[in-house]
Amino acid sequence: MASISFVNTLLLLGAMLVLAGIFSSLIASRFGAPLLLVFLIIGMLAGEDGPGGLLFNDYQLAYLVGSLSLAVILFDGGLRTKLSSFRGVLVPSMLLATVGVVVTATLTGIAALYLLDLSLIEGLLVGSIVASTDAAAVFFLLRAGGLQLRRRVGSTLEIESATNDPAAVLMTVVLVELLLAGEGGPTWDVVGMLGRQALIGTTVGVAGGLAASWLLNKVELPAGLHPLFVVASAVLIFALTAVGGGSGFLAVYLAGLVLGNRPIRAFASITSFHDAATWLCQIAMFIVLGLLVTPSRLLEYAIPALLIAAWLIIFARPLAVWLCVLPFKYSRAETVFVSWVGLRGAVSIFLAAIPMLTGLPHAEVYFNVAFFVVLVSLVVQGWTINAAAKRLGLALPRKGAEVRRVELDLPGQLDYEMVGYPISADSAVLEHVAVPGWARLVLVIRENRVLNPTEAGPLRVGDYAYFLAPPWQVYRLDRLFATSAEAREADGELFGEFAINGNVALGVLTDIYGLTIPPEIRGTTIADLFDERFEEEPQTGDRLPLGEATLVVREVDGDRVVRAGLQLPEAAGAVGSPLLRKGVRRFLTPAVAWARRVQMALSQLSKRAWFGLSRSRETSQGPLSGDQQENR
Amino acid sequence: MDIEKLITPASIVANLRASSKKQALQELAKRAAEMTGLHERTVFDVLLERERLGTTGVGNGIAIPHGKLAGLDRLYGLFARLETPIDFDAIDEQPVDLIFLLLAPETAGADHLKALARVSRLLRDRTICEKLRGADRADALYAVLTQPSASHAA
Repeated sequence: MASISFVNTLLLLGAMLVLAGIFSSLIASRFGAPLLLVFLIIGMLAGEDGPGGLLFNDYQLAYLVGSLSLAVILFDGGLRTKLSSFRGVLVPSMLLATVGVVVTATLTGIAALYLLDLSLIEGLLVGSIVASTDAAAVFFLLRAGGLQLRRRVGSTLEIESATNDPAAVLMTVVLVELLLAGEGGPTWDVVGMLGRQALIGTTVGVAGGLAASWLLNKVELPAGLHPLFVVASAVLIFALTAVGGGSGFLAVYLAGLVLGNRPIRAFASITSFHDAATWLCQIAMFIVLGLLVTPSRLLEYAIPALLIAAWLIIFARPLAVWLCVLPFKYSRAETVFVSWVGLRGAVSIFLAAIPMLTGLPHAEVYFNVAFFVVLVSLVVQGWTINAAAKRLGLALPRKGAEVRRVELDLPGQLDYEMVGYPISADSAVLEHVAVPGWARLVLVIRENRVLNPTEAGPLRVGDYAYFLAPPWQVYRLDRLFATSAEAREADGELFGEFAINGNVALGVLTDIYGLTIPPEIRGTTIADLFDERFEEEPQTGDRLPLGEATLVVREVDGDRVVRAGLQLPEAAGAVGSPLLRKGVRRFLTPAVAWARRVQMALSQLSKRAWFGLSRSRETSQGPLSGDQQENR
Repeated sequence: MDIEKLITPASIVANLRASSKKQALQELAKRAAEMTGLHERTVFDVLLERERLGTTGVGNGIAIPHGKLAGLDRLYGLFARLETPIDFDAIDEQPVDLIFLLLAPETAGADHLKALARVSRLLRDRTICEKLRGADRADALYAVLTQPSASHAA
């Protein structure tokens, strides 16, 4: 009886903590606080020094939760990374993820060595523990913050953060083993071990990803089982690699990458499941880590830890970044921003638990220092990330108009997905805007009747319109179904005041507006300018400064800009009145959106986890099989 | 940049008649010429020249034709509400019925840009446009354009 009530109490506590985490997202986004920090604080509050008073010292359990969560988060990171986004940033990102980590770890290690009075290897261990930027934190803050970064900066940061964890994990594990084996192991051992871990990790990861995608497409599973199959495979790949002496984290990331870039069935339901799973993992991981730490002990290390954090943020990371991107002509603003978004996160705290687990001397030092550094990084960097991006002129103000969208996964093919929108009285599509050619209207639901486009004629208020569209362009349709006021506002903000043809010479344009540009580019046309300045083909929304104003790509034909928006300086930089009004909305909208998203994620999670099993097979055969998801 | 500095009640046309973009620009050039003392043809040419770079029909029935002219002493604005909407080659391909013309002296520099941004922001305000479409006299239009709107309050 006693053990049953213990289990019940445990479930009660766990559920309460997760719910507290979910609801705190509302508060967090309203104040712009990094959500991960809030999760961490909830864990600390529930812990031994907080009002919760829970005594939790089970490093083994924490490590288990941490590994599992991290594996899922990394897998998800891989799954969502399109190889095409690697174009142009692969080399700098990879350098950052390898050389960058080593440089950061070494520099930080040297500081730790003096500040904490440790041996060289112990110092390096501190450095390695805090060396990696946290994929969870970076992805999360970049995406959830509603921040739209310029493509190159965003891709660099995401790929770096997703790929540098394995490097830091490797270094940490190797250093711990060195310390356990006694000082002074020969260095080539370290190199060999690193190599072996990376090699096994890569092999198992890629092979596992291929096998999983093959199985997924080959075997007929009930629809609800696809996501579970994928997540179980991910954990299997992780564990298998780790058991075989490889880097499980590297493997699981690569497996995700392989899976996410191959045609697989039920991709929409898999990603939406992973949305929920990743959320849950974040919450669980951070709360457990928050529980694990003893805040009163933390304070003992406050001063050296603070100095290490400052050194890391102000010196070590920027230097490492600067060295790595030096050959790639990143602008100063870009370099500064990449340095600033060196967010530390759960990985560091998790890594810091390893010495504790293995019973190394000074284990408590590592853990508390790492925890403190993460805390400082989340507060200082996490909180200022949006401001920094705007300050440095790297943010794209794409304001997502709030639209209800239904997405349907079409099994067996990946070039199209089906999306449905309700038509409301002020939808922009009713007013003026034409539906782009790549989106095909397939059916209209009007007054409970299903009509084909010919029968339906023009769309009317109250209709539900379903389109076939390439998944990567779907978001562009949203605009048409937003209220026209929203769409117009978003347009004006994004594309600037006036539309200018791509064949206009810059000199002619700048003369009219009194903009100053270097004389040698006066004869260059707008299209040529984008050609020259972008290594890849320009895309809608890409921006270039033009004197005091900004040019924004509006329309592209092939790889040439045919129309650009001219954004006048006052509108671009002013803290004018509409911006203030918008500021208020900017705080409220994400809060509401998040609440909905969390709610959706959880309902998806429970639906898939519990009812997916009982779904009948027939539903998965129809052309619009099952994976309906409502996005708001 | 206040709108009052750009327009006076005299620079409002409540019911402009035009059947094409060209005719509308000609009409506006004529009135601008009267106001500024410049030659009608000069103003028209500058406006036309600017339209060649890309339409100033910014969407939602609004156009903001503009240009720089030697011999102006300050920024001049001119607002016209068309009797019937016309095709203006606008970015959203919708007919235009509200036109704000802005002429700047050669030396205007940053003021020119500020004025344009201000006008463009003003006319992006949906409620203001509705009021403009609802008003039928020049003084009423002037009052709407220069009223301290909610979006301008801060």
